[in-house]
Amino acid sequence: MKIVVAIKQVPERDAPVHIAAEGRWIDEGDLNYTINEPDAYALEEALHLKEKVGSGEVIVVCAGPERVQSTLREALAKGADRAIHIEADDLGSRDTLGIAQILAEAIKTESPDLVLTGLQSDDLGLGQTGVVLAELIGVPHATIILQVEPSGDGIKVKRELEDGWFQHVEMPLPALLTIQSGGNKLRYATLMGIKKAKTKELKTVAAAASSGAPSITLERVYLPEKQKKTEMLTGSPAEVAAKIVEKLKFEVRVL
Amino acid sequence: MVREVLQVAVVARMSAGSVPLLQLPAPHPPSRLAEPGQFSGIESTFLALLIFVSAGLFLWRFGPILCTILRSKKAPSFSLSPLGGRVWNFFWEVLCQGKVIRQRPLPGLAHAFVFWGFLAFAVVSLNHLATGFSLGFFPPTSIVGRFYFVFAAVWALLVAISIAGLFVRRFFVRPVWLGEKLSYESGFIALLIFLLMVTYLGAFFVADGSTAAKALWWVHTLSLLVFLPLIPHTKHLHLVLSPVTVFLKNDGFSKIPSLQGDEDFGLVAGKDLTQIISLQTYSCVECGRCTEHCPAANTGKVLNPKEIVLGLRTYLNEFGPASDTALLTESRIASPDNPPAKYLSMKAAFECTTCGSCEYQCPVGIQHLPVIIGLRRGATNTGAWEDSYGTKLFLALEKNGNALGMSSTERDKFVQKQGFPIFDGSQEYCLWLGCMGGYDPKGREIIADFARVMRYLGTSFGVLKKEKCTGDPARRLGNDLVFQTLAESGLKTFEMAKVQKIVAICPHCVRTIATDWREFGVAPEIEHHSEFMARHKDRLPKQTGDSIVYHDPCYLGRYRDIYEEPRAVVAQAGSLVEAPRSHERSFCCGAGGGLVFLGEEQGERVSHVRAEELVSTGADIVGTACPFCNTMFRDAMSAVSEAPPKLLDIAQLTARALPASESQGPQPF
Repeated sequence: MKIVVAIKQVPERDAPVHIAAEGRWIDEGDLNYTINEPDAYALEEALHLKEKVGSGEVIVVCAGPERVQSTLREALAKGADRAIHIEADDLGSRDTLGIAQILAEAIKTESPDLVLTGLQSDDLGLGQTGVVLAELIGVPHATIILQVEPSGDGIKVKRELEDGWFQHVEMPLPALLTIQSGGNKLRYATLMGIKKAKTKELKTVAAAASSGAPSITLERVYLPEKQKKTEMLTGSPAEVAAKIVEKLKFEVRVL
Repeated sequence: MVREVLQVAVVARMSAGSVPLLQLPAPHPPSRLAEPGQFSGIESTFLALLIFVSAGLFLWRFGPILCTILRSKKAPSFSLSPLGGRVWNFFWEVLCQGKVIRQRPLPGLAHAFVFWGFLAFAVVSLNHLATGFSLGFFPPTSIVGRFYFVFAAVWALLVAISIAGLFVRRFFVRPVWLGEKLSYESGFIALLIFLLMVTYLGAFFVADGSTAAKALWWVHTLSLLVFLPLIPHTKHLHLVLSPVTVFLKNDGFSKIPSLQGDEDFGLVAGKDLTQIISLQTYSCVECGRCTEHCPAANTGKVLNPKEIVLGLRTYLNEFGPASDTALLTESRIASPDNPPAKYLSMKAAFECTTCGSCEYQCPVGIQHLPVIIGLRRGATNTGAWEDSYGTKLFLALEKNGNALGMSSTERDKFVQKQGFPIFDGSQEYCLWLGCMGGYDPKGREIIADFARVMRYLGTSFGVLKKEKCTGDPARRLGNDLVFQTLAESGLKTFEMAKVQKIVAICPHCVRTIATDWREFGVAPEIEHHSEFMARHKDRLPKQTGDSIVYHDPCYLGRYRDIYEEPRAVVAQAGSLVEAPRSHERSFCCGAGGGLVFLGEEQGERVSHVRAEELVSTGADIVGTACPFCNTMFRDAMSAVSEAPPKLLDIAQLTARALPASESQGPQPF
């Protein structure tokens, strides 16, 4: 089974985020980057699937400036067989469609059986790239997938619905899946993996120039504004207790 | 004098009264060994044949073992220097039997007598066999002979008594550490040794050239020749190998060798076992001292250090030293070559707290830690070890640079709040916070109190602006990628900051920086805060009243040989109480070897066993010198006791008596 995993490099979770001077993006100067978490799970699922099937190839694809190569190398160290780096320094000026287009172009030439992506990115969280990508390469897709099982000529997937419900779907191949975090245990890059990764192929391809102006542009980027709200509950202790329980249940949702 | 001793010996033997030969009238005073008389050509030929068979059997069994050892991988890092240390080890541990006696005095002494007796007998036995060819070179009638054979007789008596004692211990007292299965071979060999001694002593009471003398001679000879081929097959192989093992063992405690080249990931398969490891494996005498002191084995875990060593031996016997078959089972990469549940288990390897009791105790020079950590390296570096806690820890170390997985900004906030100056080269010490000191609430209290002590003493210090874990848990769990990355980054940080001297509250940090980092560069001089405070103890306030039981952390005691310094600090803060197991026999808290990060342990907890022991001393305070021990006992003591004693680090013990003004905040340096 030939599997392509489209991954994205994002700032680390605890990175000190500062808004850039023009207010349209964050200051990238002192950021450390890492693999987007759902993409890490997508890679894990791909590696698992390959181990389960017993044969195949896992190819990781990532678009971005030169720095994304470190993330690709890490994916190779974890067990991916090949990597494709789509060189693009202007990701910020491309919208979802624009990014899906350059990914689709690279993926089409591989004609894989299965394409996996994370269901959304940790930085922008739009959750569209995978779906648009499926449309562009012309394969069926399923979103928010926790598990993939090979089944006959196709696959069987477990989709997460709301409230603890799951949907099991059988799909033909080729297909595209967007993977939810937490379906697997992530592996760590091992010394053996790093040493093997040195000899694996990392191909760099140029991204096609963006076709026309993006349909979506970022107007303003800002840090979440903190709000403090105080509400006094009145009544007898029993009433107050009942109100607290209700608020904890339905507003704070911790019960 | 010698004569008197011998007479006592004679009385002792007579009273045993079981050897009829002794009742024969003594034709010469029992102060000289009887000679067996002339040997006929047939007798000599028969003897030669026996010797040939015995030696042949010995070589037939010993040859393959020697081959296995020699065919094992040569360790590139092995070097005979420093020779002085090796000679000393040989002198103390082999010739003096220092370790054997010190850690198990009574059986140790009995063993030592047998050993020294064997040495005394070397020339006697040689002469004994030579006599059979009428080539005796050491006549008992000569002046030297008269003295020497009596001297050997004294030893024979001591050996006989000792071996009888050891026999009683093995077959009737039956210490659990010797294993559940009775070793009848050991009993048989004890019998042979006893027979050797009795037949030797008997020859003092018979006439020269008598039938009795000849009979004794033959029984003695046969015992010797039966004993010889039994050596390679049993644990008595240690007779041959352990002196070599003790001499050749790697210097340094828990010395982890560097990985060589692109194909070395630790101990993955037989081909990764070095000659030293193979030699150590075959030297094991199965005394079980390692297991007796192992915190995992004592709390019902799978790990049993003796079985690790014997498991390697079984592996080598079956697969040989060039095999590709995995040493550890239960690996992700299962294959026909890797049968399940055989030999060494992955589970056992990862239950080790790396407390080092086994390695410290071993009387035959086996170094368990490089083996256990080597097995872990083989499993972790190749991804064969699957553990969600382990993965979480490694990812935290990779991403956050600390074992607790917290954001480094948390450390920045703490440093700012405490008003710790940033190290800029003008201060004497760089105060190393470590993961516990920088992120853990209790560890932070310890660091804050130690900073107060330093301020009180007027010692200038600064902390690093950014600090990452030393890589200790990664190193002990066998993740060389993470360890190397952290070690290199740490060395660079110290170099950039121009640090000359470091002081730290965590023995794990101290050990890792001082010893394990050497693989990648030279770290500045580092010491543990107990060493620092002990140096200044006369200037620290003297407190009275509280009784304090001190717990020796493994990484400070056995790893660094620091026992008295923390005790000096404790003694300054109250009256020192010793735990039932202390100093080099201290029992682990259960946190080491990265285990503190691997989730809840199964079965009885190591920390509870130790906490109970500490609480049972009745001391008012439990004094610790390691933030990991501290955190383990905090939970354990409240679980084992309703009114647990206070739990304080030695820095806190000291700081609580400092004048209040010292705690008002930082003083400008």
